[in-house]
Amino acid sequence: MARTLMRFTGVGGQGVLLAGEIFAAAKIKTGGYGLKTATYTSQVRGGPTVVDITLDDDEIYYPYANDGEIDFMLSVAQKSYDLFKDGVTKGGTIVVDPFLVKPSDEDRKNWNIIEIPIITIAKEEVGNVITQSVVALAIANTFMKPLDKETLVTTMLSKVPAKVHDVNKKAYELGEKYANEALAKSAA
Amino acid sequence: MALREIISTGNDLAAIAAVDAGCRFFGGYPITPSSEVMHTISDLLPAVGGTAIQMEDEIAGVAAAIGAGMAGVRTMTATSGPGISLKAENLGLAQMAEVPLVVVDVMRGGPSTGLPTRVSQGDIRQSKNPSHGDYKSITLCAGNLAECYTEVVRAFNLADRFMQPVFVLLDETIGHMHGKAMIPTEEDVKAGIVPRKTFEGPAEEYFPYECAPDQPAVLNPMFKGYRYHFTGLHHDKKGFPTEEIETCRKLIQRLEDKVEMHKDELESYEEFHVEDAEILIVAYGSVSLAAKEAIRHLREAGIKAGLFRPITIWPSPAERMYELGKKIPKVLCVELNIGQYREEVQRAMSRLDIEGLFKVNGRPISPYEIVNKVKEL
Repeated sequence: MARTLMRFTGVGGQGVLLAGEIFAAAKIKTGGYGLKTATYTSQVRGGPTVVDITLDDDEIYYPYANDGEIDFMLSVAQKSYDLFKDGVTKGGTIVVDPFLVKPSDEDRKNWNIIEIPIITIAKEEVGNVITQSVVALAIANTFMKPLDKETLVTTMLSKVPAKVHDVNKKAYELGEKYANEALAKSAA
Repeated sequence: MALREIISTGNDLAAIAAVDAGCRFFGGYPITPSSEVMHTISDLLPAVGGTAIQMEDEIAGVAAAIGAGMAGVRTMTATSGPGISLKAENLGLAQMAEVPLVVVDVMRGGPSTGLPTRVSQGDIRQSKNPSHGDYKSITLCAGNLAECYTEVVRAFNLADRFMQPVFVLLDETIGHMHGKAMIPTEEDVKAGIVPRKTFEGPAEEYFPYECAPDQPAVLNPMFKGYRYHFTGLHHDKKGFPTEEIETCRKLIQRLEDKVEMHKDELESYEEFHVEDAEILIVAYGSVSLAAKEAIRHLREAGIKAGLFRPITIWPSPAERMYELGKKIPKVLCVELNIGQYREEVQRAMSRLDIEGLFKVNGRPISPYEIVNKVKEL
């Protein structure tokens, strides 16, 4: 597999870090290499946060995603979206939560912008806002397919307490469902 | 040697390494970006009968750790540059009294409070001389996740061998990055522990600071019937203050020589595509990861670039750098500071024409920036 570079952005406190750790760990389990780095500001909450995920079959040295090479970005905050969108390859995919991020018309020409209400799905359909990172995980994997679903879900479940396994499984299924719907829509 | 796979961060690996290497005391005060070292070791130490304590500030944190070292326990503190600034006086005491201690410094932007959450390599000079006076620092620098483990293990053995503080530099990138590390098994690490020397004879014949001119003090653990004195003042063979001319001279000369005359035990570096290199990049810590990626691209473009990565930063691998500097026409130092190590490379290579690529805005240096700089040369 060629290198997969993904970037998750939000604001401090939203919990976007976990999805990155799960991706890296799942890739390593398959015998490959995965790295997650996070950049955040000294604000405890509310500062822009960016998580870079690099997955490869070969050893990865530099742990950050190079701007201009990122295949996929997911954003749940306007200020992070504005700060980091230019790192995405022209024509690359950016998934945004339409209630939190308003891409410009220019942006829609540059990138394949997909709107999925990630936070609303987690809050209202799954019933727990914390599961948004798992919804995001499912969306990213459905679009990019760097890993088979079973490996990713097993790894995800190993990182969350047993009492919330069911709710996180549900979050994954819903994220996958919405991503597939969006994929079908953008193909149509 | 058997290796085990672990998926973790640099900071967590440093904490795990300490415990595996026999560390049983941690004194500190949390500071970004090193806090996870303290967090993790606070979980691990009580489970093996050790103690971790959060003190009231950075100064007390290192003071507690030094106290444990005086008592005879393998001991550690972790901090960042601003913490080293505060700990400097006590680090001088540990140099003077010859107390072994491991100091993990996860570097962030400076001076002062700087850029707390962002990466830097601004503590290179600081780790050489945090305190005033003459002594010779030992500073190791992890360049990947596995070394966050292996260099901390090595630091504990070196601290006991040389009886002084040993720095392990991480930077924010290495400390927080999360991925795979192949590290030695706990059994192998345990088998490799070389504890500090102790005096076994009768107590009245024990003089901890009476040693060969190139050897460290022999400090027996406390509460075992051997009495001696710790002080930051110049001291005699029993550890009591003195101003006797020859004793004072010999003491400070010995602090220098115990390291200087045994540099071969400390030297450690990595060479990456250096054999046929026409351009040598010198980089350490997380920057060396970008440099390796850059060298991949440069080699694909037919440019013969190589990397020299010091792992032991102080004392520097000067002889090796001198040899490389004689045969490689172009040398480029890449650092997240304004050339703090370039000065050492210039000294070691005895040449001033060392190019620099430096960054001090808290952002990492990307492989492409290195590629572009090399192409300009």
